[in-house]
Amino acid sequence: MKIMLPVSSTVPSQEFLPQLTRRGFLKTGGVLMVSLATPRLTSQASQAVPQRRMPIASWLELHDDGSILVRTGRAEIGTGMSGFYPQIVADELGVRPETISLIMGDTDRTPDGGFSAGFLTGAENLRKVAAYTYQALLRLASEKLHLPVDQLTVSDGVVSGDGRKISYAELVRNQQLDLTIPVSGEAARVDPKSWNGLSGLDGLVVLGNPPMRPMSGYKVVGTSYPMPGIPDKVMGRTQWMCDVALPNMLHARVVRPPTLGSTLIAAGTLDKTKFPNAQVVVKKNLVAVVSPNEWEAISASRAVASTTKWTEWAGLPGSDKLTGFLRSYPWKAPSEGKGSIEETAAALSTSVKQVSAIYEQPFIKHAPISPFVALADVRADGSATVWSHSANLQGLRAQIANTLSISFDKVVMRWLDHAGQFGRTTFGGDGAEGDAAILSQMLHRPVRVQWMLQDDFAWSASSPGWVEEIACGLDANNRITAIKSSFYSCQSNDARIVGAILAGMPTSEPKPGYWIATEWPYDRIPHRREEAYGRPNLGSDAPSGVGMRGLIMRTPGQRQQNFPLESLLNEAAAAAGMDPIAFRLAHTSDQRVIELVQATAKAAEWQPRPSPNPMARSEDGKQLHGRGMCLMIRQNGCWVGIAEIVVTPSTGMIQVTQFTIGADVGKIINPRQLERCMLSGVVMGISEALKEEVTFDTGKITSTNWSGYKILTMAEMPEIKTVQISRDDKGYAGGSEPANAVCPAAIAAAFHDATGIHPRRIPLTPAYVSGLLKTVRTAS
Amino acid sequence: MADQLILNVNGQERSVHATAETPLLYVLRNELHCTGPRYGCGMAQCGACAVLVDGAEVRSCITPVSAMSGKKIVTIEGLPALWAQSKGAAVGAGTLHPVQQAWIDEQVPQCGYCQSGMMIAAVELLAANPTPSVAQIKDAYTNKPPSPHLCRCGTYAAIIRAVQRASTVMTSDGRSS
Ligand code: FES
Ligand code: FES
Repeated sequence: MKIMLPVSSTVPSQEFLPQLTRRGFLKTGGVLMVSLATPRLTSQASQAVPQRRMPIASWLELHDDGSILVRTGRAEIGTGMSGFYPQIVADELGVRPETISLIMGDTDRTPDGGFSAGFLTGAENLRKVAAYTYQALLRLASEKLHLPVDQLTVSDGVVSGDGRKISYAELVRNQQLDLTIPVSGEAARVDPKSWNGLSGLDGLVVLGNPPMRPMSGYKVVGTSYPMPGIPDKVMGRTQWMCDVALPNMLHARVVRPPTLGSTLIAAGTLDKTKFPNAQVVVKKNLVAVVSPNEWEAISASRAVASTTKWTEWAGLPGSDKLTGFLRSYPWKAPSEGKGSIEETAAALSTSVKQVSAIYEQPFIKHAPISPFVALADVRADGSATVWSHSANLQGLRAQIANTLSISFDKVVMRWLDHAGQFGRTTFGGDGAEGDAAILSQMLHRPVRVQWMLQDDFAWSASSPGWVEEIACGLDANNRITAIKSSFYSCQSNDARIVGAILAGMPTSEPKPGYWIATEWPYDRIPHRREEAYGRPNLGSDAPSGVGMRGLIMRTPGQRQQNFPLESLLNEAAAAAGMDPIAFRLAHTSDQRVIELVQATAKAAEWQPRPSPNPMARSEDGKQLHGRGMCLMIRQNGCWVGIAEIVVTPSTGMIQVTQFTIGADVGKIINPRQLERCMLSGVVMGISEALKEEVTFDTGKITSTNWSGYKILTMAEMPEIKTVQISRDDKGYAGGSEPANAVCPAAIAAAFHDATGIHPRRIPLTPAYVSGLLKTVRTAS
Repeated sequence: MADQLILNVNGQERSVHATAETPLLYVLRNELHCTGPRYGCGMAQCGACAVLVDGAEVRSCITPVSAMSGKKIVTIEGLPALWAQSKGAAVGAGTLHPVQQAWIDEQVPQCGYCQSGMMIAAVELLAANPTPSVAQIKDAYTNKPPSPHLCRCGTYAAIIRAVQRASTVMTSDGRSS
């Protein structure tokens, strides 16, 4: 049940290097194409498709004007991959990154598929593609220059040796060359056996171990190459997902049920005198209004919504009862457990001191700045083209084919830029694509579906709330001897297509469960037992079939599970009367962690002392100051956050005044883009720590706009300092998402430092903070 | 029923057919193919649809098109011309408004969806206050009605740097010319 692939593939080493074949000579032009040794992603993955029939599925094309085209099924998600991939290819090939253009996402124009967020596997693939190509070009140059390969050097796409030189462009001129490289993998498909209902989401993996350059010799990787799409976005030239329009296209708006469980009694009717061009479309519980004019579709859908009748439903516990509901749920076996139960229990029972707590967080939302939007054109011959901003185009392709009961091979997904999704399309599900495809199939016209803001907040999947019980034991020297944790939440893998559920059409079938997402920085803690429990969606038995759908969100699982782990460490440090940084460093021997913690603490001007702050009080009207820290390791990277906050007891308001974030992500590909991701990740992390909470009653989500679901504003952003450590000998690490996950525990620790109270829930809203301060005053 | 209206968009008179209450956003996007302003919330809560109307930021998602007659509408597509005009110069092919150039230089957009509105807000702010402090920038993006400008990707720090960079360019440019 793992979401990310390991850093490097575990494929056995292959000795051979693929050979170039010459398909022909050309009078003009010339190209070297790097293609796959197994078929591109079709539904019959086992049946070989001859290479000639798929000329557009190349990984990389080198043209005789020196330009290079690179293709990846992964798409930009706002964190800079569209720049990183050309940087990586440029260094392995020995060319300038400006010569490389990138095609992303489109299923008919890219070879491999895969998670857009799976940067590490995507980078490893393209690095190998470039390395194979480099070897082939060297051999070609060696023939032309009559020199052995080991006497050749390459710079800026020019091969030189013994005073002679030839460019890559000249090497391929007037020729059509093919290089076929080995890959493995399977096509995405709806798969009832898979835990999230889909398999093949990883895409293809390039096999073998071509010689690659040492990272210390890289020239482009490690520089702040600008992100390629930015000028067009700034000038208004980008074609966004919402901008695509087709001739004969209809605009659609969905009329969703009033609750997540309601079913249709009768669809409302349209006043044709007011809305002459609009039409109501109904399929089981899927109700939509279409019109050639977008504003008419919006106005007419509101009119129809007000007269549409639905059944009532009240199958949710309500957000104010959520954590009580999770605590009292009859949990059976954990869906994942790690570590020895007996050894951990024994170590805990012999400890001198125990620290235990229960932490919790409500549901939160990915909350992109644009609601879902998509366009589908399902044609009479059963073929379909869907324009999408999904982060797993091949997965969604499989979903659409399954829902429409058409062949996978007949579905083409085209990717366009759109608002960042933060993981909600990672499993290839959900979104407006399903609605658009279903409506287009029914209406035999291209249909563009834009969810309105309320639809998106109420009907998109959420990141489920959770509760974690966690305890540790300390020995006489204030060293932790064991930690035991039990995490309880709802399934977070529901990539079903909501339009398909409502329309009664087939969709994927995810299984309930959860996983352990922590990566362990504390090798000096001898015993630990971790358990994760995942119940089905809230309202999973709803008559509509929908319920409160749970999905992963940025830094999935680990964002949640790191908060209790690091909060407990802070509580234990306080119980031990130790500085929280010194306390952590006593529990790890990982040099990367130690160096990063020290560098970040230095940047934050951290003064060692135990928490709480000796000045901590909880009197009304006086501002209280606190500081706290948190760390996390993830995907070969290490992250540290240090928060400084001011608490105003009279209002319960917290302002984060300074946040220092440190990252060691192995070899830094692009320091500036990493800095951007660190700064912006901190904004999202503080937002989660202080503000974000989905509210729901017994039938529906009630936080359905930006005044109900608050996120951090610019004025609430602190000063942010960044610390980066780059290492040539550690490979690449995930470089964007962990920034948000190191904020909540650091802020909670700062709150304890300021007030002497350990908060055990996020968000630290004014109401919750006021309640905490009041409880303490009452108790004292 | 749809009326014919004349709109002045980015310095050009354009004729459109729309019912009077249609929000400006849909007319700009669907009739005039001016796609800089985008739908984010449709209820004046985010800023993704912001345009300048006679120099002031307006949320096009809630502004009826009928209220626009006789007014000058500027979207990000029109920022280069706005800048050239203020300098009394012609718009060259590569001309950018200093705010746009600063957005590129500071690498502001992540997904970029909110950034058209963010640049519109910057142009309005710098017209009123050519050298804003960090506190004034934060205030303008947060407390000015009808709502804060929201960026879910969290690019606020980059926006502040870019506004300051544009401010430097625009004020030094003003002195030298
Ligand atoms: S779309 Fe107009 S303010 Fe959000
Ligand atoms: S850049 Fe993505 S919402 Fe602002």
